[in-house]
This record gives sequence, structure tokens and C-alpha cells, in this order.
Amino acid sequence: MEQEPNREPTFPVPPGQKSARPESWLVCVSPSPLSHTLIRAIHRLAEAQQARWYALYVETPAHARLLPEDQERVSQTLRLASQLGAQAVKVSGFRIGDEILAFARERQVSRIFVGKPYQRRWRRYFGASLVDYLIWNCGPIDVYAISGEPEEAKPVKTPWPKPRPQWANYVMAWIGVALCTALAFVLFPYLRLTSVAMMYLFTVVIISSSLGRGPAVLSSFFSVVLTYFFFVPEYYSFVLANTEYAITLAVMLVASILISGLTARTRYQAKVARQQERQAAALFEMSQNLTARYSLDDLLWEAAAQISRIFQGRAAILLPDPGGLLNLRAGDPISDFNVTEKLVAGWVFRHGHLAGAGTGTLPNVKGIYLPLKSSRQVIGALRLEISSSDRQLDSESLRLLEALANQVALAIEREELVTKAQTAQVQMEAEKMRNILLSTVSHDLRTPLTVIAGSASSLLEGEDHLDGPTKHEFIQTIYEEAKRLDRVVHNLLEMSRLQSEEFKLHSEWHVLEEIIGCALAQLDSQPHDQQAHISLPADLPLVKMDALLMERVFVNLLENAVKHTPAGTPIDISCRIEGKDLQVEVADQGPGLPVGQEEKIFEKFYQVWPGRTRGAGLGLTICRSVIEAHGGRIWAENRPGGGTAFRFNLPLEEESPLDEYLPDEAAHPAH
Amino acid sequence: MKPRILLIEDDPQIRRFLRTSLGVQGYELIEAGTGTEGLAVAASQVPDVVVLDLGLPDLEGIEVIRRLREWSTMPIIILSARGQERDKVANLDAGADDYLTKPFGMAELLARIRVALRRKLPAEEGKPVAVFTLGDLKVDFDRRRVFRGQEEIHLTPIEYKLLSVLIKYRGKVVTHSQLLKEVWGPAYTGQNPYLRIFILNLRRKLEEDPTRPYYLITEPGVGYRLRDE
Repeated sequence: MEQEPNREPTFPVPPGQKSARPESWLVCVSPSPLSHTLIRAIHRLAEAQQARWYALYVETPAHARLLPEDQERVSQTLRLASQLGAQAVKVSGFRIGDEILAFARERQVSRIFVGKPYQRRWRRYFGASLVDYLIWNCGPIDVYAISGEPEEAKPVKTPWPKPRPQWANYVMAWIGVALCTALAFVLFPYLRLTSVAMMYLFTVVIISSSLGRGPAVLSSFFSVVLTYFFFVPEYYSFVLANTEYAITLAVMLVASILISGLTARTRYQAKVARQQERQAAALFEMSQNLTARYSLDDLLWEAAAQISRIFQGRAAILLPDPGGLLNLRAGDPISDFNVTEKLVAGWVFRHGHLAGAGTGTLPNVKGIYLPLKSSRQVIGALRLEISSSDRQLDSESLRLLEALANQVALAIEREELVTKAQTAQVQMEAEKMRNILLSTVSHDLRTPLTVIAGSASSLLEGEDHLDGPTKHEFIQTIYEEAKRLDRVVHNLLEMSRLQSEEFKLHSEWHVLEEIIGCALAQLDSQPHDQQAHISLPADLPLVKMDALLMERVFVNLLENAVKHTPAGTPIDISCRIEGKDLQVEVADQGPGLPVGQEEKIFEKFYQVWPGRTRGAGLGLTICRSVIEAHGGRIWAENRPGGGTAFRFNLPLEEESPLDEYLPDEAAHPAH
Repeated sequence: MKPRILLIEDDPQIRRFLRTSLGVQGYELIEAGTGTEGLAVAASQVPDVVVLDLGLPDLEGIEVIRRLREWSTMPIIILSARGQERDKVANLDAGADDYLTKPFGMAELLARIRVALRRKLPAEEGKPVAVFTLGDLKVDFDRRRVFRGQEEIHLTPIEYKLLSVLIKYRGKVVTHSQLLKEVWGPAYTGQNPYLRIFILNLRRKLEEDPTRPYYLITEPGVGYRLRDE
């Protein structure tokens, strides 16, 4: 690890930190395997003291040069920390010490734990170890250095990141310096030494901004050497005519090396920013998309599709069946989901660690498997198969994939919770409904039963002394109440049938007149004093509907009108064609509806005047269900002249069957 | 001799109520509590009419009808619950003569039984009456003329045929498919809308108020019935 001395003053931690709140600790993570031990140790300590703790890794430009194993180890360590309850954080920066302290101050951390790091010998002589640095600059924060075995702790660095063909950059740097020298040579007669130096500095800037730090540093040295040789008197020799030139050259060297460093730093930060932006954008898009989903399956498919898109691979989401075996639930089908793949998927699911291709664990499969971890448990696995030949993801992409997997897991969990909550809500509603139903039904059943039982017992007891008309009165009452009971039961049955899952319409082409006729016949079997007037156009087309259900609609509307209107007032049934709909109206001349009740009356068990009229409050609900099942609409409004009008629309189908059914009568003469 | 009615019904209260009511009306009631028992009693005692409840514990109503029809043409009236219209049609097609929906009035049951008994008499069946009268309606079969009161009504050949089929089965329900078959021919079964249009036209000619038909009664979901008396 590298760090530079910090010149910033340290600020004391605000006094509020020492309040009753749990302490915050910070564990510094390094690529060393020691970090694992450190994390576990701190976990135990933190548990014992109930402290909140952070695991922090500072990613410097050096991170990119670490061996893939070390990079992976860092990710593992951070994962371990978050599993153990820490908040795992990765920050980017140049000076590890500064970043750690800045983080610690921001979060009001009271203790910092560092592994006692391996130091290169020369570093040790200079005394600038991270621990020392932290101790010098930490202010009121306690710093703990925890030791480990040095040979294990030694981080190995690859000399240079592999993918970049470095030699090409150096050649380019060479060519740049050579070109600059050639130009300077041509212009030298007209220029002074400082201008030449400026030209070289400019070249170094270009090289460092396009080719990186190494070539830039190299070209700095070469620039100085070439200037020294060609343009400083004595020309074409390394002899200095004047000591002042030595200063010029020294300044030139320092300046160009500093420029190389600064430019490289800017480049690195820009690269980190780009990566972070890409990740943030991907995560944002994912969270946006996942929140907009309505069902679990939708969500899973969307997530898989998006992950496939981001990584240019084939993503799949595996969820356990009731038996605990992982099955493909969404995403690209796995071409070769053999025993090994299943084994790896199962391992990931059980252990909650990532594994598979390109990782340190069980790499002999085609897919990378990540656990989908909800807040409580592993709920499934995410599989990603990358099209590239080595099936590897760089650590950045892996981190992004992990973040996405977490989001998916949380979304799944949220979805499950929502479903649970909805089920609970539905159950509560159902419970409430059942209670209302029971109370209404028992009331509606008990009233006629009371009357029937009472009348019958009067008849039994008074057999000898009751006169004919009285007996008849009782018998009539029994008969009527029994009919009423029947209607209540009928409506209840109808309601439950309409709401059952097997319910379906048995639509046929019908003559509306006939259906109204049946309804009127039913109504006429009950005692009532209202007169129904029917006015239907003579050329009414056949309408496709379920006759028995439509009959219930008319019966219920008519009964409703009879119940709520004074004796002797007429009920009007009329009907007309409205565009592509048939509009039917059942209107009475009663008191009308109270304002604002026009919709409520269609609700189950709703009664405008509870107790005043009898009935379970199901009639209009049935009407609405039936009409809506037919693709129509029913509503109620008050008539201008007083009274209520119930109207409903039924869509008329384009094609009437009559043309095909009405051949010439003469073709079928009666025998 | 009293007409004998076999009641196949598992509910003792309904049996008790029907025993009393039908006894008062001068019928002899034989009872059976299950379908199997009912079939045995029907074979041994040969009733004039069978009243069959559809909700039997052992056999489906339609099964009882089929087995009865294997050897007998005795009239069968079925008792069904609400909402079983499709069952009703299936049972009528299987050979039942008529149906009643629970709860029913005694008057309705008696009317059904009367129609069933009348149809059982060989003298009545097959021998067409020359002139049929029902209320204001008068049909002169010899001259193929129909009158409402004094006024003659002109029917198309199909309407006339439809009316005469209904008269043939008067008082009894005739299913849609049966009417279509008898009036138009077997190829027309299932063309219910066709039938509905003709019934509508017939009603407009015969009935005083076609929306409250007096003669031509709709049996919802099943068919039509011509009023008996």
C-alpha cells in the first residue's frame, strides 16, 4: 500500500460522538488474506460491544495492477463483512490514509482497525507506513493495528496490467519525443531555450494524457536528456556552458514528471467516474424497471433481460421449487444445464457465495452463479453466461453484477411481501364480507322464518276457534314469506355463482321482449300494486345474452322499484338503440335516490335506508355483475320529474344471426 | 281406481308434505328414498306417474330416467333446484316429461300430474281433436283456421305448425330442440334464435299483450309451454 504524508490539519471529532449511541468502528480492508481474519475478529468484537462497523476498501490506481486473485479477495472480504453485519464500502482515491480518515470523520467513527501491513524495507526506513500515518493524523480516533503472518500477508503485484500492450505506448512516447526534437531542431535558430523546454513540456502533457503515466515519465527523462544534448550550450555534448542551464534542466525534469503524475491521476479519476456512472446508470435503470413490474414473473423476466443486456450474455434466474431444488424461473434458457451446473447452482444457493466460471470457486462450468440474498436468507440464484471465450468478468463488472443481484433479490423479496400483504388483505376483506353476509343473511332468513313459524303455530293452536278468514290470512302470510325466503336464497346463490371461478356466460341470441316477459311473470307472482309499462321498439334486433341472468337483472330491478316506490305508481321499462349499444331503462316514480348514493347502491349489502326495506342488498350488485359480464354498464340516476331511473347498456354485436336463420317461409311449408 | 304416483325423493319432510297433499287430492302415493329403491318399486308396482327428485344420494337423476326409459314410457316429472336449467334440458332430452323447480306450489304439481295422466291415456294421444279451444283461442284443425274470439288470425304455415305442435303437447314443456325438430326438421336443432323469432311473431298474433303472454309461456332456458286450462 502506498500513501503520502498528509499536510491537512486534523479536525477533532464532534463531541456528540460520545453519546449513548452505539459506537461506530471502521475496519480497513486490504488485498491481503489477513483482512479476512481481521474482519472475523472485528465481527466478534463488534457483536460483543454492540458496535456498528464499517469495512472500507480504498481503491487506488494500484488496484488495477493487482493480481485477479487479489482483486477477488478484496471483493470476498467485503462480501464477508457485509454478511457479518458490517456496512461494506469501497471508495476511490489516491491516498489511502486520507480517504480512511475522511470516511472515519464523516461517519463519526471512534475506532479504526488496520491490519499491520507488509512494508517494503525501504518504506520502513522512511517510516511512512499506513498505521503510522493514521496514528499521526487520527486526532481523537483510536487506531488499532492487528498483526498477521507476514508471508501470508505479502501482496503480490503484477508488474503491469496485462490487457494494455505497454510496449506500443512506449514506442509511441518515443516517436512523440523524436518528433518534438525534430521540430525543435528546425525551429531552434529562431527560439530560445525556454521555448524549446516548453515544447517538450507540451509533448509530455500530450503523452501523459493519452498514453499513461509510465510513457510520460520516460518521455520526461528523454526530453531532458535530448534538450541537454542538443539545445544546451555546449551543443552536441553533455558539457554545461553555464550552471544556470542546470537549473533550467532540473526544473524542466521536475515539472514534466509532476505533469505526468497529475495528468495520469486525472485520467484515472475520469475512468473511475465513468465506471461509476455506468454502474449507477445500470442500477438506476434496474431499480426503475423493477419497481414498475406488477407480478413476480414480470419482474424476474425484466431483471434477467436487463442483466443479459448489460453484460452481453445470457442471464437466468433460478428459484427453488417447494422441494428446495433450483429451477429456471426466468431468463434465457440454459442450453446445457447438466449435473455440474446444477451442483454449482445448488452450492451457491446453500452457501450464499458466488461461484462458477471465472471465479475462484467451482470454475468448471459455463455460468457465473450469484446468490440472490434477501434481507433474511438466500432466495435463489442468478446465473450469467458470458459469450466471451474466457467466460470471465473483470472485478468491476462483477461488482456491478453483485449489486444488480442484490437489487433483484430485494425486488423479489418486496414482491413476495406485497403478495403476502395482499393475500392478508384479501383474507381480511373476505372475513369482513363473511361477517356481513352472515349477519345480513341470518337477519334476512330469520325474519320470514319468524313470520312463518309464528303463523303456523297460531294455526296449530287455534285450529278449533279460528274463523275461516283469519286462517286464510295466516296461510297467505306463510305462503308469501316462504316466497320471500326463496328470493333471498335465490339471490345469494346467484351471487355466489357469479363470483365463483367456474362462472361463465351462456350467451345466445335472444328476444328482449321474451326476457322481460319472464321477469314480469315472476314479479306478478308477488303481491304488488305497481303497474309496469313496457315500451319497446317493434324492430328490436336479437341481442346476444345469457337469458337466465338477464332475467335476474330485470327481476331485481323491478323488485327494487316495487320496494322503493309508493303503491300505485307506475314502473316504466323502455329500450332504444344508442349507437352500437342497446340501452334499457327501468324507471320508477318513487322518492329517488339521495344525492351521492348513485354508485353505492350497487355495492354488496348496501342499503340506502337500512331497516326500512327488506332484502339482503344483493339485487343491484347482481345486476351490476351480470351487466358487466356482458360487457355493458349499469348506472342509476334520478329522473328530472322525480323517481329513479336504472339504465344499462349492452353492446350489440355487429352480426345478427337472423339473415342466416330466416329463409323464405315458403321453403318450409307446414305439412 | 286412484291414480298411483311414485315419489322418488330422499327428504322425509318433502315426502311427508306430498303424501298429505296428494292424498287429499285423491292420489295414491308410493314412496322411495333412493334411486335404486325407486327403480325397483317402479318395476314392481308400475305407477301411473313418477315424480323424481334430482338430488338423490345414490344415483344421478338422469341415470334413473335412462333406466326407467329402457322398459317403460310412464310419465316422469322431475323436481329440480334453482339454477339447474342445463340439467333440466338434459333430463328432458333423456326422456323426462316435465319438470318443476323447487320450491313449487301444489297447484303447479297437480297441473303437471294432470297433464301427465292425460297424456298417458291412449285414447287422448295420437287422436287429434278436430277443434281445439283455449280461452279465446280456437283452432279448427280440419279447416286449418285459427280464431281469437270472433276474429280470424292469419298464421304462416310455420306458425301454424308451431302452434299445432304446442297444442299436441299442451300443458307440458316442450324443449327448444324438440320444437325445432318437430316443426322444421332434425337439421334445425340448435337454431334457437330462429325459434324465438317465430314464437315472438306468434305471440304478437295470439296474445293480447305479447310481453305478458297468456297462452305461450316461456320456460326460461328450457323451452315453451302452452297453457293447459
